[in-house]
Amino acid sequence: MARFANGKAPFLRISDAKNAGTGVIMRDFMIGLLPVILFAWYKNGIKVYMDGNITFFEMLYPLIFILLGGLISTLFEGLFFYITDKNVRTLKALGAKLKVSYAIIPGLLLAMVLPLYTPIWVLMFGAFMGTIVGKMLFGGFGNNIFNPALLGYVAVGFTMMGVISNAGGLFNASEVLIDSYGGATPLGVLARTKAIDYNILVAPYGTLWNFLFGTIPGALAETGSLAIIIAYIWLAFRKVIKWFTPLIYVATVFILSWLIGISSGEAGLWFPVYSVLSGGLLFGAVFMATEPVTTPRNPLGKVVFALFLGVLTVLFRYIGNLPEGVGTSIIVMNLFTLPIDRMTAVVRANGVKKTTLVTTIGFSGLLIILAIYAILKVQTIYTALIPFFPIIREVF
Amino acid sequence: MILRKAKGLHIDGRKQMSKESPLHEHLNPQFVYIPLLQQTSALKRTVEVGDDIKIGQVVALREGFGAMPIHASISGKVTAIKKVWHCSGKMVEAIEIANDNQQRMADSIMPEADVTHFTREELIEKMKQAGLSGLGGAGFPTYVKYQTKSSIDVVIINAVECEPYLTCDYMLLNEYPEKLLKGLHYFMRAASAKRGVVCFKSYNKHIRESLQPLLQKYEGIELREIKDIYPAGWEKYIVQQVTGKTYEGLPAEAGAIVDNSATAMVFADVVEKNIPLISRVITITGEGISKPRNYYVPLGTPVKELIELSGGYINGLVHEKAWYIAGGPMTGRAILIDDLIVSDTLGAVIVKPMPDEKMHPECLGCGKCADVCPVFLTPTEIRRAYESKDVDAIKNLNAQKCMACGLCSYICPSHIEITDFVGKAKDLLRKGA
Repeated sequence: MARFANGKAPFLRISDAKNAGTGVIMRDFMIGLLPVILFAWYKNGIKVYMDGNITFFEMLYPLIFILLGGLISTLFEGLFFYITDKNVRTLKALGAKLKVSYAIIPGLLLAMVLPLYTPIWVLMFGAFMGTIVGKMLFGGFGNNIFNPALLGYVAVGFTMMGVISNAGGLFNASEVLIDSYGGATPLGVLARTKAIDYNILVAPYGTLWNFLFGTIPGALAETGSLAIIIAYIWLAFRKVIKWFTPLIYVATVFILSWLIGISSGEAGLWFPVYSVLSGGLLFGAVFMATEPVTTPRNPLGKVVFALFLGVLTVLFRYIGNLPEGVGTSIIVMNLFTLPIDRMTAVVRANGVKKTTLVTTIGFSGLLIILAIYAILKVQTIYTALIPFFPIIREVF
Repeated sequence: MILRKAKGLHIDGRKQMSKESPLHEHLNPQFVYIPLLQQTSALKRTVEVGDDIKIGQVVALREGFGAMPIHASISGKVTAIKKVWHCSGKMVEAIEIANDNQQRMADSIMPEADVTHFTREELIEKMKQAGLSGLGGAGFPTYVKYQTKSSIDVVIINAVECEPYLTCDYMLLNEYPEKLLKGLHYFMRAASAKRGVVCFKSYNKHIRESLQPLLQKYEGIELREIKDIYPAGWEKYIVQQVTGKTYEGLPAEAGAIVDNSATAMVFADVVEKNIPLISRVITITGEGISKPRNYYVPLGTPVKELIELSGGYINGLVHEKAWYIAGGPMTGRAILIDDLIVSDTLGAVIVKPMPDEKMHPECLGCGKCADVCPVFLTPTEIRRAYESKDVDAIKNLNAQKCMACGLCSYICPSHIEITDFVGKAKDLLRKGA
C-alpha cells in the first residue's frame, strides 16, 4: 500500500502549464502597452528631436519618464512589504512577492496618462496615492477597490494641475510653437467654449486623421488612438481583456455624442468621431475600464459597467467643469463594481424573472434617465426649455 | 445572446494512451469485494460468512428509493466482511468472496428463447431485478427513470465520454457495436419511445463507421455527433442538442431518457441472457501508469491487481507527489490509499504526478470562471457570499444549479479552488435551508 497525495477536482488546470496563468496574462498586458509606449516616445521624443527642438537627452526623456513611473511604484510597494511584513525582508522573498503583486503596472499606466512636463515629485506623489493608498492599504493586489493608476491620476489632477502647467504642461516642445493650438487641447477647447463647431474643435488641429494618428496635444500616451486600437486588438485576441467592454463603452459615448450633436443642430458624424478620438477615452476604455480587479467579474456586469461608463463620461465631459470625464467616471464606477457584480450575477443565474425584474428595470431606467439628461443638458435645448419650465433651473 | 450561451471548452483529451492497447479481460480475480453502498444508500446484506456463492446470486438488497438486488460477480465462498476503500472516498463494508475459479452460474442466468414478447412493464421489472444502475458515474437506478409518468419521445445513449483520459465507454463500444444497438432497442421498448439517438464525440468517426451498417436492422435509431467540448456529456447539454428542449429536474420533462452506452450494453445481456449487472469496463491510465489500458472486470475486483497487470507505476513515481484519482480528472476524487475496489460507478483510475508547484497570485477578477460556467453562475460572487456566510445571497445566486463540472477551477489563472468553494456554498445552503 502506498500513500498518495490529496487534491481537489479538477486535476487538470490551465494554470499548471508553463505558459499559462496570471503571470502570462500580465505579460501579455505589458506587451499590449508596448505600442502605446513606443508611440508616446515617438510623438514626444523622437519626432520633436527630428524637428530640432530638443536635445538628445530630452529625446529619451518620455521613455525614461514612463519607466520611472513603473520603477517608483515598484519601489513604493517593495518598501510597503518590507515595513509591514516581517517575512519578506530578504531580497529573494521580496522579489517573489513583487512578482505576484504586479507592482510595475500602476506606475507605468500613471506615467502614461500624465502630461510630459510633470515634475518627478508629482509623479511620485501620484504613484504614492495610487500604490500605497489605492492598492496596498486595501489589502494589496486583488483587493483594491479603485484602479490604482487612476486614483493616482485623479489625485494629481485635483491637486497638482497648477504645478504641472507651471512646469510646462501638456505641450511638447514642438506643439508649443504651433499658434493655432492656442495653448489648449481639443477637449479643453470644448470645455471652455461649449460650442459644437468643426472650425473651432477640429480645424486648429488639422483633420480628424490627426486625431487618429495622435498628432494632437494631450497627455503623454493618451493621444495615440491608432496605437491603442492595435493594443486593443492584441489584448482581445489574447483574451487578456473582454473584447466587448471597451467596444460598448466607446459605442455609448459615440451614440450619445451624436445625439447631442444632433440636438444642438450639428448632425455631422465628425462630432462623435471627434468625441471618441480626443482625450483619454480610448486609453481609458482599453486599459482602465477593463482592469480585472476593479471591474465586474461576470460578463453581464461588464456590459452594465461599460454602459454606465459611457453615459457618465458624456455627462462629465459636456456638463461638468472638467475637460476630461474618463478618469473620473471610471473611478466613480469602480465604487459600484461590487453591487453591480452581485446584482447582475443574480440576473444572469436566474434569467430575467419576477425576482430579478426590479434590478433589470432599475438599471435600464437609471441609464436611460442619465442619458436623456445628458442630451437635454446641452446648451441650446436646455436654455430653450428654461422659459417654459423655470423650475428646471433650480432643480438641475 | 452572448451573455447566456454555454460555449463549453475544448480540453486536450489525452485519451490516446489508453486506446493503444485492446480491451483486456480479467475475469478471475482472487477475491472480489462487493461494497455495501450504492450512491448514498447503505445496502442490506443477505449472505453470511461461509456461504457458497454462484455468479449472479443476490448478495445484498438496496432498500427505500431505488430498491433493487445486488448480485455476486464471481463464484466461490464468502470469506469475510471487510472494510475497503470505495470510490466515494470513504471506507465501506464489503462482502469478500474468494474465487473458486469454476465460474458456476446461478440458475437464473439462462438465455431467453424469444425476446420479442416482453412488454414495457416486464422490461422495467427486468432492469430492477438485474440491479441495473447507470455506469456513467452517477449510479442512478435505471428502472426509476423508466417508471416515469411523462411520455417519452426519445431514448438517448450517451457515448460522449467528455472527461479527458477516459476511454472505457469507447473501448467497450468498439468491441461490441451491435450490443449497443440491441440495448438501445430494448430501452426504447421499455420507454415506449419511437426514436433512439446515439450521441458520440465528433472525433470518434470510428463509431459512425461501425454502427452505420448495422442501423437498418433497428428501426428508429439514429447517430448524432456532438462537438468536442467539455462538458458535452452533461445530460442537459445532450438533451438540448437532440431535442432542442431544456428542463429543470429530470430529462423526462423534455420527453427524453438518457442512458450511458455501457448501461445499454449490460441491458442487452440482461434481456437476452438474464445476466445481471456484475461487470464493467474500467480505464487504468495516467502518466503514472506504465501501460495504460482498459479492463473488463467483475465488479469488486481490487484495482491494485489491474495496476499490476498494467506494469505497475512508472519507475521513479513519488507517491506523495502523485494523485490517485477515482473517476475522471475533472470530477473525480483523490484517493489517499491505493487500495480501491471496482464498483459500478468507477469508470477509471488515473495515476498522475502532481504538476510542479508554482506561486500563484490572488484572484485578479478576470471573470473567466463566470465566462465558462455552463449554467451561468458567477463563482466569484458565490465565493464572496460563502465567505460572509450569506445563505440568502447563495440562494439568489443559484448555487444549487452547479453540477461541479470543474471548469471554473480548470480555467482559473490564479489556481483558486473555486469549484470547491461553490461546493461548500451548496453544503451551507443545504444545511441553512
